[in-house]
Amino acid sequence: MNDGPLIVQSDKTLLLEIDHERAADCRKAIAPFAELERSPEHVHTYRLTPLGLWNARAAGHDAEQVVDTLLEYSRYAVPHALLVDVAETMARYGRLRLDKHPTHGLVLTSTDRPVLEEVLRAKKVQGMLGERIDEDSVVVHASERGNLKQALLKIGWPAEDFAGYVDGEAHPISLLEDDWQLRDYQRDAAESFWHGGSGVVVLPCGAGKTLVGAASMAQAQATTLILVTNTVSARQWKDELVRRTSLTEDEIGEYSGSVKEVRPVTIATYQVLTTKRKGVYPHLELLDARDWGLIVYDEVHLLPAPIFRMTANLQARRRIGLTATLVREDGREGDVFSLIGPKRYDAPWKDIEAQGWIAPADCVEVRVTLPTDERLVYAVAEPEERYRLASCTAEKTRVVRDIVASHPGQPTLVIGQYIEQLDELAASLGAPVIKGDTPVRERQRLFDAFRSGEVGLLVVSKVANFSIDLPSAEVAIQVSGSFGSRQEEAQRLGRLLRPKSEGKTAHFYTIVSRDTVDADFAANRQRFLAEQGYAYRILDAEDLPA
Amino acid sequence: MTLVRAAPGATSAALDRLLDLALAWESTAGVRALTGVAEAMAGVRGGGTSGLHPRSADAPPPGEVRRRLDELSPAARTLLEHVAEQGGEATTGTSRHHVSVADAATPAEELLARRLLVPRSGGVVVLPGEVGLALRGGTTTRESVDEVPEVVTSERSGDLVDRAAAGAAFEVVRRVELLLDQWSTAPPTALRSGGLGVRDLKATATLLHVDEPTAALLVETAYAAGLLATAADRDGNPAWVPTDLFDSWSAQEPAARWAALARAWLDTARLPSLVGQRDPQGKAWNALQPELSSGLAAEARRMALEVLADLPPGTVVASGTGPPSVVARVAWLRPRRPRTRADQVAAALVEAAALGLCGLGGLATYARALLHGDDPAPSLAGLLPEPVDHVLLQADLTAVAPGPLESSLARRLQLVADVESRGGATVYRFTPGSVRRALDSGWTAVELHEFVGSVSRTPVPQPLTYLVDDTARTYGAVRVGAVEAFLRSDDESALTELEHHPKAAGLGLRRIAPTVLVSTTPLDVLLPRLRELGGSPVVEAPDGTVHVARPDVLRARTPKDRRALAGASARAAAHRSAAASAVVTAIRSGDQAAQTRPATAATLSPSGSLAALREAVETRASVLISYVDNHGTSTERIVDPVSVEGGQLTAHDHRSDDVRTFAVHRITSVKPVAASP
Repeated sequence: MNDGPLIVQSDKTLLLEIDHERAADCRKAIAPFAELERSPEHVHTYRLTPLGLWNARAAGHDAEQVVDTLLEYSRYAVPHALLVDVAETMARYGRLRLDKHPTHGLVLTSTDRPVLEEVLRAKKVQGMLGERIDEDSVVVHASERGNLKQALLKIGWPAEDFAGYVDGEAHPISLLEDDWQLRDYQRDAAESFWHGGSGVVVLPCGAGKTLVGAASMAQAQATTLILVTNTVSARQWKDELVRRTSLTEDEIGEYSGSVKEVRPVTIATYQVLTTKRKGVYPHLELLDARDWGLIVYDEVHLLPAPIFRMTANLQARRRIGLTATLVREDGREGDVFSLIGPKRYDAPWKDIEAQGWIAPADCVEVRVTLPTDERLVYAVAEPEERYRLASCTAEKTRVVRDIVASHPGQPTLVIGQYIEQLDELAASLGAPVIKGDTPVRERQRLFDAFRSGEVGLLVVSKVANFSIDLPSAEVAIQVSGSFGSRQEEAQRLGRLLRPKSEGKTAHFYTIVSRDTVDADFAANRQRFLAEQGYAYRILDAEDLPA
Repeated sequence: MTLVRAAPGATSAALDRLLDLALAWESTAGVRALTGVAEAMAGVRGGGTSGLHPRSADAPPPGEVRRRLDELSPAARTLLEHVAEQGGEATTGTSRHHVSVADAATPAEELLARRLLVPRSGGVVVLPGEVGLALRGGTTTRESVDEVPEVVTSERSGDLVDRAAAGAAFEVVRRVELLLDQWSTAPPTALRSGGLGVRDLKATATLLHVDEPTAALLVETAYAAGLLATAADRDGNPAWVPTDLFDSWSAQEPAARWAALARAWLDTARLPSLVGQRDPQGKAWNALQPELSSGLAAEARRMALEVLADLPPGTVVASGTGPPSVVARVAWLRPRRPRTRADQVAAALVEAAALGLCGLGGLATYARALLHGDDPAPSLAGLLPEPVDHVLLQADLTAVAPGPLESSLARRLQLVADVESRGGATVYRFTPGSVRRALDSGWTAVELHEFVGSVSRTPVPQPLTYLVDDTARTYGAVRVGAVEAFLRSDDESALTELEHHPKAAGLGLRRIAPTVLVSTTPLDVLLPRLRELGGSPVVEAPDGTVHVARPDVLRARTPKDRRALAGASARAAAHRSAAASAVVTAIRSGDQAAQTRPATAATLSPSGSLAALREAVETRASVLISYVDNHGTSTERIVDPVSVEGGQLTAHDHRSDDVRTFAVHRITSVKPVAASP
């Protein structure tokens, strides 16, 4: 028996006891091939997946290294079947490769003929392959590079892509590290992305993903297309790039509903790209408007399905995806892997928090009890009405007031889902409200006022969920959300995690109606954060310090 | 001596051994096999291990055979070599069997003429022993028989082997326990042939996180160890359930449990490796099927493991080429075993690895002890993970046991939390459902708090405390029960009085709310008793309305006066008379049917019925038919056929006074009757 920190389970999960003295070494050793699934306070769970093992192969690790690592750190004997499975899975990667052939163009070759034969007969790859060149290679239609990779991954024979990338139109970009420094993990992330060619970087909200994007652009030295979730976020990218890099305002274009500029660096919103008129996407040509050398996908977990399809055609360009979480509520993580690229960098939230780059957070769930009359209304309500009823109880307004009062002078966000509720809260708290129909100019003004401290309390709808930089927020109170989305919970907490002055702790309150669907949904969302290592405290509204 | 291709020393040593064993004896004419030995050896078709046929009775001397061989044409020589390789037997087709050397026209005839092939019955020719010997250069085999086939090995430290094997051993014990635990409550049905269904095996594989062959191996091993047998399930069907031995087995230490399983596997005649493969009839073998055994199985296993045991320390069977070399070694050691033996040896190696006797291709030290009849448990116990007595509770409502839990603790935890992941460690998750399950089985919230607090080495996270309290708070908020009647009253004191009335003791009254009593006495008994007790209850209908029950007043029926009736209600009378005449018609047609019933009910063929019915249609005659309905009941009816079409008879049925259709093939007899009156 070995006194290691790792326990290898037969269902391919790895349990890492983090209080163990060798835990840190072990984490470093297993991170390349195992996916971190949850990281609560004592035991972190990693999982061995084919995707993860192939990622490791892509990064140059072989099966023997993986097996040795498991054997070295494992406390108990490692199930033999699992070791065999690891070796077999990893051996599947690289049997097929995509190459550029001087005369035939894109070519799929195989070192293992039966595999090629199997693939050629697979229904999923029909129509993507052209004529057979010789026994071991076959022409691939250049337009199908992405689709083929996706299909091959699905049938379990992932291809290694050696076809390379186009350099794109050169454009000088450098980082201006005058009064700031790229953090170590940001540099690591940008570098591991660049070595891998394409891929996804997973960093918590507030950890400075924009800078990882900027650093990658400085590596690429080429024209760049940045795809972001919304206009406000586009403006933030622009400001940040102007401040942190050699790019000037004139070199950066915005391509959104209101402005359509195509410049060496262009920031476009998902929404404008996926606008459909008469069955066509009129703005799609932006993707071909220039010879882009790099494409940045911000918040890749939100990438809409049409953009997936377009991305399939962009396999010759370098692509970087940035996200706080690879959890997609639609479960399309595999598409992200095959179309944008494997995960290139990942750091647990708590680690970055420990390094002081994101603020520590104190998560509290406040439980309110519905008054008897509301409970009766709730009890007889239609199922689809119930969540709204439970979320919008007047009781919550009272609790929000108490919480706001208990954090005087601290910038506070109140986040909710239902417009009437937000309006009511805003009226009751005497605070401005930002919702879907607030004009961009007004939003910008309020956000600026909040950042500068002029406004200390904002009521926001889900428009503020993503990519809006509110570094000064210290308290967030969420009163309702969209049906228990884990990813939303992460994003909302992310609003708070930008580092605070004097290392202050952020406070994250969730107000939940007891014994209703609200509580069920809240449990779902919290599970995600608990798995990220944030212990929830639960408070009864009555116990709240008034 | 030179007959066997081997070093002379080896041959004489072997011969000495035969003499020692008295299987051969030295006669004046040389060494001879004991009577019976030669017959036993030759009894095998194809001539024993060497594959040579017996020598012919008038065999020419070796020199002569060689000379004849040299004379052959190249084609004939090739043919002869081919026959020798194919087991020394061939069919000759059109060749003449008795030709002289000079007349021989074809290669085959060349060989027959020189008696290098000898004809047997049925056009078969065989290669006589002396010719086979000559072809092999004067020895019984082409290869040396004293060269022991080498086992292909690679280097591995014994330590690593032991650890890998112990890992597998631990998993086996855990999986068998999990499987039998599962089957204790949800046993799979036993097939009529006695096996385990394919679907159940699949479910088992999913449950245990293993592939189907391994699942079959575990099931078979549990069976061999006597932990599994058939018994009637709740519905009385045969099912595979754990035996009572399982209880004492699961109370043992893991090492002892493994020893029991391994020993059973080593000695069983079962062949788990065949499960899922097809028998000669093309039918897939089921796990636990009674026929799935072979007398050679145990020997094959032992021999395979002995080969592993004989390897020098620090070496193991190489992966890939190693197992076939072990098979070759065993085949050399026991040359006369049938061909299936090779599969059994190969399977034994795979199974031994899966069961934890071997790891990384080497035999574990404790398995060596097992093989030599010693108790492997003491040396295995040191390699197995120590049982732990605590868990780590986390805020995401999971509990991780960082090792195998003590049995009683594991069982209790399994009750209050769901198992999410198993292996060396176990991950439990607390859910409202799991907490409710614990409450259902009699735990209280306080006990739950105490339990999780006592087993956790870390502080109990607050969300877990809330989960338990929340679940306990709503637990049993709605209570369900069955009673016969309820009594409710706004007058609480009246109910109290009733409840405590001495004569009401037998009514099974219970108060469930200040204004409600329930009773286990049915309403029709309860009501008079309550009245006796001086109450004046009224009965409530299910919708809450009050039944005012006046006493039932008895009345006799007024004698019917037909004339008065006709006057009173002409319509009712018309109804009645229509009904009456329908009854009369039915009775009459029945009577008619009875009268015309043929003495012997000659059953008609469908074509006969058809003809009779067609005739009846044409003559518009009534017929008596015997008709078998959907339920197989035979009835007789008098009908007026209207038409016969498409196998259907449409006819006016006298009894129902209606036009109906009958399927002709259901009509068993047709008999004409006089027209209805």
